[in-house]
Formats: sequence, C-alpha cells, structure tokens
Amino acid sequence: MEHAFFDEYSHSDSVIHRLEPRVKILAFLLCILFIAFATGYNLKIFVPYSITVISLILLSKVPVAFIFKRVVSLLPFILMVTIFLPFIQSVEGGEKVSWGALTLPVSYNGIRLFVSVVMKSCLSVMLTTLLMVSTDFASLLKALEKLRVPSLLIMIISFMYRYVFVLEDELMKMRQAKECRSVGGSQWFHLKAQANMLGVLFLRAYERAEKVYLAMCSRGFDGHARSIYDSKIKTRDMLFLVFLAVILTLIKLYG
Amino acid sequence: MAKKVIEIQGLNFYYPDSTHALKNIALDIFEGESVGVIGPNGAGKSTLLLHLNGILRGDNHIKLFDMEISDKALPLIRKKVGVVFQDPNNQLFMPTVFDDVAFGPLSMGLSKDEVNRAVNEALREVDMLDCVNRSSHHLSSGQKKRVSLATVLSMRPDILVLDEPSSDLDPKHRRDLIAILKRLSATKIIATHDLDLVLEVCSRVVLLNAGRVVVTAAAMEVFSNRQLLEENDLGIPIALCKAG
Repeated sequence: MEHAFFDEYSHSDSVIHRLEPRVKILAFLLCILFIAFATGYNLKIFVPYSITVISLILLSKVPVAFIFKRVVSLLPFILMVTIFLPFIQSVEGGEKVSWGALTLPVSYNGIRLFVSVVMKSCLSVMLTTLLMVSTDFASLLKALEKLRVPSLLIMIISFMYRYVFVLEDELMKMRQAKECRSVGGSQWFHLKAQANMLGVLFLRAYERAEKVYLAMCSRGFDGHARSIYDSKIKTRDMLFLVFLAVILTLIKLYG
Repeated sequence: MAKKVIEIQGLNFYYPDSTHALKNIALDIFEGESVGVIGPNGAGKSTLLLHLNGILRGDNHIKLFDMEISDKALPLIRKKVGVVFQDPNNQLFMPTVFDDVAFGPLSMGLSKDEVNRAVNEALREVDMLDCVNRSSHHLSSGQKKRVSLATVLSMRPDILVLDEPSSDLDPKHRRDLIAILKRLSATKIIATHDLDLVLEVCSRVVLLNAGRVVVTAAAMEVFSNRQLLEENDLGIPIALCKAG
C-alpha cells in the first residue's frame, strides 16, 4: 500500500530541494507571474523563459520526462479553453479558410495568442509540478501557513493529503472483496454493485470525518491546528531568489 | 483508600438510531488503578470509553475528578484524560508523525522545546523514533498503532483510555506495549478482546454485555470463572489455560 503519488521525488537532494520552502514558493510564484504577464503576441520571449524553467528542472534532478507527463495530462484542459482563440475575429491580418459554403476566419494574432496562452499554461504547470515534487508536502503546507495563507485552507489541504490515500485504500479493498466474491453475474449487476460501493465510500468518509474530529477534540483541538515550523531562511536562499529575479527582469526587458 | 477519579452513576446512552447502547451503567475508577473493560462485540465498550472525556455525554451522570462534565471543563478534562481510538487512521490526522504527536502538547500551549522533548520521549517509548518525519499513511498498521499511543503519551495524561491497543501489533510490539502499560503510573482503562493483556496489566475487570455491566470484580476472580466468561461470549485467557 505504498502510495508514491506526488512524494516520489520529494526526498532526493539537489539545489532546488535544499531551498527553504517559503523562498521556493515565492521564487516559483515570481516565475509564474513573470510568465503569465508576458505580452501575448511576442512569442520569442518564451524561448528564454522555457530555458529558465528547463534549467530549474535540470537543477532539481527530477526527470524532465516525469514533469512533461504531468503537462501532457493537463494539456487537454488547456486546449479546451484555448482552441477557439485563432478563430476570434480580429481587425489586423488574417485569412479565411473555406470548405465549400463554410468559411472560417483565422487571424494571425489569434494564432499567436493561442501559442502564447498554451506556452504560458504549460510553463506554469511545469513550475507548479516541480515545486510540488521537489518539496515534501508537509513542509510545503507549513511554509504556506507561514506565508499567511488562511489556516482553514491549509487544514483542508492537509486533511485531503492525509485521507485521500485512506479512501483510495478503502475503495481498493472493497473492490478486491467484491472481486473475490464475483463469480459471473451480469454487467448490470456489477455496475449496480460499483454504484453501491461509491455510496458506501461516501458514508464511510463522512463517518470517518466525524471520528477524526472527535479524535482531534480528545487531544484539545480548539479550532486552530498548531504546528512547529523549524526551517530558517539562509543567505543562499536569498541569493537564489535575487538571482532568479534578475534573470526574469532581464528577460522581460530584452526578450 | 485511593481517590475516585471517575464516578459513573446510572449512565444511559442512546445512539441517534435509538439503539440503547449503555444501560444504567454504574462504575467507579480509582486513581492509579488499571481497569480492563471486556465483553463481546457490540457490548458497548467503545461507547463507554467515549464518555470518559466528554466526547459523548449520555445523560450526564459522570463525574471526572469530582467535576461534572461541562463545556467549560472540557479543555481541562481532555488534558487529563487521553483517549486512543481503535482505528489509527482516525487517531493520526496530521501530515507527519511528528506533527501528530506534537498536536496534543501544542494545543496544551507548551513551548517549542517542551513540545520537542515530549514528542521525542513519547516516540522513544513506543519505539518509533526512527519514523518521526515519515507520513502516517506510509506506516504499517502496527506502526500506526504505536504512533497512536504516542500521540496521547506526549500529553502525559492522568488517565489513559485505550480502545483495543494491542490489535494489529506483532508479538514483539505487543509485549513492548504491555511493558509500557505496566510501567506507566497513570490510571488506565483498557477496552479489549485481548484477555491476556488484561490479565497482565489490569487489576480489575469490568465485564459488559448488551450495554449493561455484568460484573465488576478483581481480574483473577473474573478470569477464573469459566462459566461467567463463556456465558458472555468470552473465554479463559490463554495464559491461564496452560496453568490450569
């Protein structure tokens, strides 16, 4: 029942892994902001940005292929949102594609915008993925809490992280128990059983939530989950942040 | 005579589906003693335990340390009474083992150094110090069980309430658990089917069946009464079988 999920690379060692989590979050956020605010029609600027992102990945020793897989899994969603951009009417420049009676206007700026939004999304997903996989989840949460993210939100994410595996296990065990007793029967019968299992899973999750709450109360929970945050920001963390900021500014100015 | 720490008189409890789970329970627990709560499945053992720190209130016929259970008294009661739930997945709710064991001490308002010390001591006690930075979901069920105990040990409660503490443990860690329980000076209330554990740790036994107290007596007295045990779907502890 060893779940790797997103902890797979969080315990290896590299420059990126060693960064103080708070600084790392801020640095990556800075990167994402710079990329997100790049002007839409200038595609050349994405070359230096991509190089920066890839260098960060290489520095972290997380396999690039692993990060790309994550991006590919999110690509359909990105495309779903952006696919119409090239066809939006624009004043300057464009062609008409026609099949018989159907004409579709395609604008050059639309295409540029499409490429730029896809690039922005992909680079941001790569950065977030890198942040997630190169930081151990518990310290990521603590760092976010230190950065004044509302503690209710942190608690929700923290419980999700703790219990998503438990629920997954419960579902898996129910499935296995069902398989063990499945001898024939119609598709419809099995489908109904699956649906019941989902219902049971929901009920169990609900009841577990109540019990967890009771266990928390038993240990003096009063609405605030407290934890100890130990890591300190070192000079090299600040150097990294400044260095990254300088590079990003240079790209912004000359890219 | 030792001080009465828990006094229960005529406690009734109904679950929302109107199951009458506890019927007219009367029970006194004295300071420093170890009491085993035994009985068949569904006897009401766990339900009774949940009343001991005010999680369930029943019709409120419980006094802890001469205090009625009230909202105002709850923080103090929960500091004094440590409850370990049966399912470690409910007991362990923080991302890492350290955070979980530190949860109680932190909510008690201890300083950082005190918390660190309490966590270290509690984890050493249950032989889980190596796993301090692991995530709970990566532990085996026996390891989770031991960390669960540590989450409460770190609060140094006066009364330790344990629900099936030895289930899922391998024989070595079950022996260790018994040794820990024997060593702790706190008052202990242990609900379990592990009658051998009760025999070793507890001086007194409360036998529950169908929500009623069947008998409260010295452990040896109950365990030597084969007829009583079998009538209540239990049996003689293995250790006594060999002897007799």
